[in-house]
Amino acid sequence: MTYRVPVRPAGLAAAARSLIHRRYRDVHAVQDASFEIPAGSIVGFLGRNGAGKTTTMKILSGLLHPTSGSVDVLGHVPWRRHNDYLRRIALIRGSQPLGGAPELTVLDSFRYQQVLYDIGEDDFDRNLGELAELLDLDGLLQRQVRALSLGERMRAGLALSLLYRPAVLFLDEPTIGLDVTATATVRRFIAAYSQQTGATVLLTSHYMADVESLCPRLILIDDGRIRYDGSRDRLTATLAPTKLVRVSIPGLHSELAEFGDIVERDGDTCVLRVGRAEVATTTGRLLNRFDVADLSVQEPPLESIMDQAFRAMHADGSATPAPAGESR
Amino acid sequence: MSCASSIGVVARTARARRLVRLGRLSVWRQILGWAGAWWFAFTLALGQAIVPLLGLVVWMRVLPSASVIGPYYLAVMAVALLTGSFENHTFAQSIYSGDVADELLRPQPVAIGPLGENLAIRVWMVLLGLPLVIGVAVSTRVTYDWRGVLLAVPALMIAALLRFLFTWTFAMAAFWTERVHAAVGFVTLLITLLGGSAAPLSLMPPLLRDVANLLPFRAMLGLPAEIAAGTVAGGNILTGYAAAVGWTAVFGVAATAAWRAGVRRYTSVGG
Repeated sequence: MTYRVPVRPAGLAAAARSLIHRRYRDVHAVQDASFEIPAGSIVGFLGRNGAGKTTTMKILSGLLHPTSGSVDVLGHVPWRRHNDYLRRIALIRGSQPLGGAPELTVLDSFRYQQVLYDIGEDDFDRNLGELAELLDLDGLLQRQVRALSLGERMRAGLALSLLYRPAVLFLDEPTIGLDVTATATVRRFIAAYSQQTGATVLLTSHYMADVESLCPRLILIDDGRIRYDGSRDRLTATLAPTKLVRVSIPGLHSELAEFGDIVERDGDTCVLRVGRAEVATTTGRLLNRFDVADLSVQEPPLESIMDQAFRAMHADGSATPAPAGESR
Repeated sequence: MSCASSIGVVARTARARRLVRLGRLSVWRQILGWAGAWWFAFTLALGQAIVPLLGLVVWMRVLPSASVIGPYYLAVMAVALLTGSFENHTFAQSIYSGDVADELLRPQPVAIGPLGENLAIRVWMVLLGLPLVIGVAVSTRVTYDWRGVLLAVPALMIAALLRFLFTWTFAMAAFWTERVHAAVGFVTLLITLLGGSAAPLSLMPPLLRDVANLLPFRAMLGLPAEIAAGTVAGGNILTGYAAAVGWTAVFGVAATAAWRAGVRRYTSVGG
């Protein structure tokens, strides 16, 4: 997907010249992006700001016509926007979860959706009942859209988009700006919806907790190119070959350094960085040797892994992020 | 009739029914939506009525013996309220805000949205402007020949469609520029000047009148009022209707072409 954007130097003279002779530069928003998503999967589509996530989402949903290449979603070419295609997909943007006139009630919007997507009365009642229960909508249906909070709008917007049971969901930052409770509700709902209906979900989010709880597969994009496509666990293992062992032992034990790198020490609690392969033996040795009050093994935070991945990708443009510690 | 063609007819009928239902619902939703901004609709109604009202006052002073001035300008006022179009505010804004993207992904013709909003605003303008029209009618003691009013009804409907297509076509410049208000403001001024609101076309200098008769603005405003007030008759009504239908066809084609080109651009460079 290539955009042609006008460019000119700064200043009045350049501005005047550009009136007669405009110059353009090609911007490659997405290029050589190729991937397949099996039906029923939930895939995280991640990248930094401006990496090409939303452009790709727009191409897949049918809003953008790529300069070259081919796309097949549910057997359709998305940008032809055939009604048969549009009835089977939903693009949900967290920034604009619920459109339409703000004076209308949520139920008004549902009724319009019913006509728009030819939903029979029985299906409408059943789907709305299920969605209302899952998303706790009962108190919202009679309220005007303008009176809803952001979290309520998102819940109502999600339900509205799923009333016609789309087979593919494009979720663009679905939890942006939501509080903890609303975020958890939306995450639970997306997982339940996909499981119940077999819907395919492509999710972009800057909240790694969304990705961690929903997406076993990740596609990373940077500068418009796909840099990684695979399991989240493999990415984590590749980029973070260590885990964190948090252990609480009464009394100070200087010999803990033998078990791994000490990352943090706070009173009787110590956090050790241990190689993934040694985690089992290390925890066994710790339990045998000390009077352990508490012990837990943690993955490094996904935020730091993704940050590491994006930095590595941006630094050398490699299609595969380098494991931590490797020189690039 | 074969079974296949019968099924085709049934499917087409069902599609048409669905579109009509969606259109009706769209208008109804927009009427409710605009209920929260009735005061804004009131200012729009005033904006539509103020120039004909000024024309009425001025021309009644200038030509106190001309009995058609009152009926003509009252009809212009009603036509303006019934045909006012503001797609430069409504539809252009949906392009600027990106809301048109949501519309593109709905399984319905996008025109249903702007058309529904157009009709809803007109309903509000008529409701809010009606007291003004009645007040002027009572104070000027205007009367009409019912045959003229009946003859003017099709012209009014054509004017309503033409003005929507005209404004929508120009509003679609929003796909290319963020300065759409200036362009639409200019053509709206032309409607006022050459459409019969600033002055009845019959009172214009001959050359200007001939030019105005060739342009689409009279069909948007002055023609239905002229027919209702009885200031045009016989062959001139037919000529006026022919021009109105012709311009409606032209702007129907122009709106379709602008929509296709605009969407092509929008889906090439994004919102």
